Parts: sequence; structure tokens; C-alpha cells
Amino acid sequence: MHGTIPAPGPSRRGSRPRLAAAAALCALSLAVAGCSGSGASGSQTSTQLSLQFPGPPVSLDPAKAGNGSSTVFVSLAYDPLIYLSGKGEMVPDLAVKWGFTDQDNKVFELALREGVKFSDGSALDAKAAVASMNYFLKAGGGLVGKVGPVDKIEAVGPMQVRITYKKPTPEAPSTLTQYNGMGNLIGPKGLAAPDSLLTSSDGTGQFVYDGTTSVAGNRYVYKKNPHYFQPAAQHFDSTVIRVINNPNAVLSAAQTGQVQYASGNANTAEAARRSGLKIRTAPFFNWSLNLVDRKGTVAPALADVRVRRAIALAFDRPALAKALAGDYATGSNQVLLRGTDGYDKNIGYGYDVKKAKSLLAEAGYPKGFKLTVLTQSIIDPNSNYSQAVANALKAIGIDVTLKVQATGIAQFTADALSKKYAATIFPTAGTTMAELNSQITSGGFNPFNSTDSELDSILHKAATATDAASRTAEYQMASKRLEDLAWTVPLFATQNISYAAAGLENIQTSVLNPNPVPVGPTADLSWRLK
Amino acid sequence: MLRLIGHRIAMSIPLLLIVSLIVFALEALVPGDAARTILGENATAQSLAALRDQLGLNDPWTVRYGDWLAGAFHGDLGTSIISGVDVSSSLSTRLGVTLSLLIPSMLLSAVAGIALGFASAVRGGVLGRFIDVVSLLGFALPGFWVALILVAFFAVQLDLLPATGYQELTVSPGGWLKSIILPVLALSLHGITAVAKQTRDSVMEVLEADYVKFLRANGVSERSVRYRHVLRNAAIPVVTSLGLVSVGMLGGAVFIENVFVLPGLGSLATQATLDHDVPVILGVGVFFTLSVIVINLLIDIAYGLLNPKVRVS
Repeated sequence: MHGTIPAPGPSRRGSRPRLAAAAALCALSLAVAGCSGSGASGSQTSTQLSLQFPGPPVSLDPAKAGNGSSTVFVSLAYDPLIYLSGKGEMVPDLAVKWGFTDQDNKVFELALREGVKFSDGSALDAKAAVASMNYFLKAGGGLVGKVGPVDKIEAVGPMQVRITYKKPTPEAPSTLTQYNGMGNLIGPKGLAAPDSLLTSSDGTGQFVYDGTTSVAGNRYVYKKNPHYFQPAAQHFDSTVIRVINNPNAVLSAAQTGQVQYASGNANTAEAARRSGLKIRTAPFFNWSLNLVDRKGTVAPALADVRVRRAIALAFDRPALAKALAGDYATGSNQVLLRGTDGYDKNIGYGYDVKKAKSLLAEAGYPKGFKLTVLTQSIIDPNSNYSQAVANALKAIGIDVTLKVQATGIAQFTADALSKKYAATIFPTAGTTMAELNSQITSGGFNPFNSTDSELDSILHKAATATDAASRTAEYQMASKRLEDLAWTVPLFATQNISYAAAGLENIQTSVLNPNPVPVGPTADLSWRLK
Repeated sequence: MLRLIGHRIAMSIPLLLIVSLIVFALEALVPGDAARTILGENATAQSLAALRDQLGLNDPWTVRYGDWLAGAFHGDLGTSIISGVDVSSSLSTRLGVTLSLLIPSMLLSAVAGIALGFASAVRGGVLGRFIDVVSLLGFALPGFWVALILVAFFAVQLDLLPATGYQELTVSPGGWLKSIILPVLALSLHGITAVAKQTRDSVMEVLEADYVKFLRANGVSERSVRYRHVLRNAAIPVVTSLGLVSVGMLGGAVFIENVFVLPGLGSLATQATLDHDVPVILGVGVFFTLSVIVINLLIDIAYGLLNPKVRVS
């Protein structure tokens, strides 16, 4: 027997049980497929739109809801005053006209659309709109800081609303879109019982939230609103948002048609493309190393601007982006993303390790120093991005210890505000300089309350500019000033990736709106199936 | 036996109290709270303080736990801080999903595990070696990985079964069956192999016992020897193993529900923990503790039925 080639028999025998098991399962599946009625939840009728979202909503109360891609939970049931299209254009929605009535960009008026009803049956008028916006301001939601320094909101006519700001606020129209909360109007009945907004809805949107058939945290069901003002834009009888956070489960659900639109990621995008799904991308997060301790309270070295500039020169941004997210990220050397107002191709940090070391030596740190950097593993899974940042800083002698917060973004923010950390790794996200500036100079991006009079002066000029060209020029100057200050060091911009079924139409994304919503005030702005 | 059952039920009350207290304490140790979850990263200190006050999060932990306990004693498990949905209602909505996953998985583990293990022990040879190998694989392969492979093959490639989601049994029995086949298989794999291995070892040990040789020597049929005597005497460690497997499935269900997007108690517990939604966390904790108590009680009863000595003691 020695030396003989083993016969294939045993291996065939060994594989029989597995083949038999697979065959049995196939047979059972086929039998079940034959006898089942409707498919499992997630399959849909031709008039149902099924979407995926990675987590439950922050809240279904528009005044306490989240923004970004989670806007979808609110926008299905609540129309905004001004609609931001996928291309980034401001489109009339509940407001048909708007504009400043003064030269200082402080008094803003909107004319409301006639003939609109909330799902509770009451009519939209200026009084209802003012009540909703005032409720938003007092509800204590997380978006209240994004709507500008509102002084007062009042009805100045049956269908005319006036917002007065404490400071010039040229970005007022964008603060009233679906992404910033205040413009999403709630009806009188909802305002009278805000808790009811968690289990039902009272908006003017295309759909009405159906809490009775929804399962919180798993499936959110919206049914067609019979009162909607533009029936031609209603392409679906119902919409379901399914909460799926496992990227592989997301891919499977999209590939098998259980969801027609889903959030993707760089790891599964190729598989999605191969299976015929349409991949949509738009730059969104501008990942940054935020040098927040500009007075040197925790890390004395960071008080010296030469040290901060040295750090900014330590990154080979294109290589970093390629290594971390392949084709779904690009190097970013300034706070504004390409395509946004104020982006300037002539400025930006370079990559120069020699110069970085020289700057550190000039500042008195020829051998570098130790730095603890706060990061998180929620939107930087496994802290891969953060590890790469730490490795790059090692090349110029800075020994980074990462403190990874894994319990949530909210806790990460609380840690950032604790003034225990001199630097954090977290992306900025914004399409206007005003939006970015409010982010960079507040909250977790500025726990030590740094101010710069030159930057403030530039932004004030931008806010009071009377024409777009001069405002753009001021934004470019602000961007350059932020580069000189090196408070926030941009590294790379990651793409928002989404998967759409081949037949799903009217979806548009852009750098100005990387998180499109499926509903819009016209037939062409609402998604539909071919 | 009745005394044993009564004793077990009496012991479950302090156990529930202790577990709920531990769950409450562990949640309190995790950084963050529900107010931060609700208001998000942009919240101001003032709005956070106001919401914490409104939600009672500033109260001493004794007051918060005491309030929950007082409600629980009256059958009121509170309301979800995040969704505003009644916790009892959330649990009842999701209970059917989790039971649809757990009960078939336990039955499949018991039936398939015992059948494979017994066949392996009495036949040996290739089948025995095969079960050994499969058992090792069952122990080594994580359930969620098996789940992903099953989805890739049966849902994506063959399009026979849904990749994710759950269908109510009352709405469509066929749809329900389709929706649980893959999750049950993924959850059962470890159980089947564990029970099969235990059954095989236990049956082989009993087959070597003197009384089995004696039975055979007295002309008792091999069928009777195997099924009336050997299997029954080998059953106690198998039942123990089945109990452990069933308790383990409660934890495994959390992962499986995540992969298959099933709206069960596991996914509810996961999300509630991330959100610091204490009433929901405590509600699910109580349910899982009750499940463990029931499983242990069933094992005790099974011991009594299988072995008269246990009944006497």
C-alpha cells in the first residue's frame, strides 16, 4: 500500500454529507419559496421605496433630529422652507420667495406657499411657520447652533415670515433647508404634543410616519400623505427605511433588491459595482488633525505656530488617501473642499518632512515631543485613519499616543470639550465657509476658545459683502488665514458612497449636497423607479 | 420535583433583582448618557443640563433605580428615552422575532446534535471522524462569519432566501420560514456540533459500561440496548450541554440579529446600550435573565425525568 496514490474515493465520500446538506437546504428553500406568500420584510411592492440607513434616527422630532444623511428620517414627512437639491441649488418648497430686506444681511423674509396643509389637516400660514421655528429654537436640539444668530421670528403678513438676525447672516437661505432643522415645519397639533412626534408625524411632506407598523431601531415606515401639495412628485405609495449597520448585510440587502438605496463604503464598493448597483460618490468628510490647544495649556509645544505648521507639513496627503480609502478619498490640503465657494487651488499645505523638522528645531523641539491625540472608532473603524496620522507624525519626531473613544461620537465630543487633549482627529463637514468657521471655532474643535481678530474681520467682511464675487474673495482669504494659523490641519477628504438600484432615477449628489433625500417639491427632484 | 421547581422560582426573584442592579450599575459606568445621544455632538451645555434635568438623569442612582424597580413590580417597565415607545410594548413586538430564532435553533441543535452524535457513536468509522471534524469547525467558526457565507451563497448567489429581514408568522407562514432558515442555521451550527460531540462521547462511554455488556449477554436486542438503556443513561450530560448551548444562543442571537437585520431583542439591546436607553436595557436584561431561569428550570425537570435519583434528592 505504501507509495500508492490515494484513491479519490474517501474524499468524495467525505464531501457527500456537505453536498447533501447543501442540497437539502436548497430543496427546503425551493419548497418554501413555492409555498410562501409575500416575501420577507424588506422586499417591496412596485410602489414602495426601500432605503437603508446605518442607525436609528437621533429623533423623529424635527427639532431634535440629526442632519447629514440622517435627514432622510425627517424629510420624508416634513418639507423644508427651502429645498436643497442634489446639485446644491436652492429650490422653492414651503417658501416660494425669500431674500434679505436690508443691506446688512440681517433681516430675512420668506413668502410661504399657498394651499399647503399639514398632515393634521390644518393649513400652513405664517403663524404656524413662526410657531414651528420658535419651537425649534427652544427645543434644545443639536442643530440649533447651525441656524445662525436668530434674534426673533415673526409673522409680518398672513403668508409672510420675517427672521431678524443679531449679526449679518448671508447664509440664511442654507440654514432653512432640510438639513438644518429649523426650516422643516411642524403642524400645530404636533407642536401641541411634541411627544407625539416620536410615534407619528405632523408635517407637510410627501409621507406620514406610521409608528404603528414601524419597529423602532429596525424599520421606519412612511405612508403617502393625501394632503401633499404636489401629488405629481409623489412617486411611491410608501417608503421604508431599514436600519442595517453591518456593511456586508447592507451589500447583501442592496444586491438582492431588498433595499433600493443604501450607504456604501470603500470595502464593499467594488462588489456592489460588479453586481450592477449604481455607485454614487460625493466628497463629504474632510478628515483633519485638529490642533486645539493653541495656547499650549496641555501641550506647550502647540502654542508655537511653527510647531503647528511643522505638523501640517508632515503628511503625504495623496498617498495617505490612496492607502486608506483607495479611489474613495483624495488628499485635502485646505479646510474647504474643491467645488465649494472659497476653495483656492493656489493655497494649501504641502508635504515637506525636512522643512517640518527644521521648523520644529527652530521652535526648540529638534527631537520632537510626545503628544496625546483624542480620536474615536465610530466613524474611523479600527482607528485606521488615526493610526496613519500617528505614523506620519512619527517621521518628524512626534511620538503620538492615541486615546480612542469607542462609546460614541457624543462621548468623543464630551472628551474633546474636557480640555484634557491638545489635539483631536475628526473630520470637518460643511459646504460654506460660514458653516466651517462655526464648526472650527466652536465646540469640540475649539475647547480652549481660541480667537483670531484677523479671521473674524475677514469673515465679517464676507458676511456683509453685497455681491457673490467679493464674498468668494473674502472666503479665500479666510481659508488662507486658517492655513496660516494651522488650527485645523486637513488631511484627506473621504467620499460619501451610496448604492442605488439600477432602476432608481433622479438621484443627484454633489460636493454641495452629498446626502440627497428621496423627496423633493417637484416630480423631477423626487426619486422614482423606472 | 415540585419542591425543586418552587425553590427555583423563589430563587429567581432575588436573581432578577441582582441582575437588574448589575445591569444598571454597568450602564452607569459607561461614559455618556441619553441626553448626549438625543442632542448629539453639537449640543450646548445648557441644553444638555436642561434635558438631563427633564429626564431625571441628575437624580441619585438610588432614586432612578428605585423608580424603575417600583414600576417593574407593578408591571410597568417604563418608556424608551429615545423612541418614546413603551418598553413592554417594544419587548412584546420583538419577542416573537427572537423566539422565532431561538426555539427552532434549540430544537435543531437538540435533534440534529443528538442524532448525529448517537449515529457517530454506534457506527463509528467515517461518520464518527466526520462528526469530529465538523464539531471542531463548529466550535472554531464564528457564527456571524457562517451567517455571512450562508447569505452570500443562498441569498446573493442562488437567490433562494432573503438576505436580511423578518416576516411575521401570522402574515405569511412561508415568508416567516424563509426569513428564519439562514439565521437559524447560523445560530445552530455551534449548538449542533457541541451537542453532537457531547452525545458521541457520552454514548461511547455508556456503551463500554458493564451493564451494557450484561444486557447484551442476556440477549436483549441491540435496538433496546441502544435506545432504551444507552441513550437514556447518556442523556444527562447531553441535556447539560443542551442547556449551556441554549443559554449561549441568547448571546449569539445578538450577533445573528445584527447580520440578518432581525428586529429582535438582541438588536434592541445593542441599540439601547449604544443610546444609553436605560429602561430598555433593563427591560431586555430582565427578559434574558428570565430566559436563563426558564432554561435552567427545564434542564432540572429533564434531569428529574431522566434520573430517578435526582427526583429523590
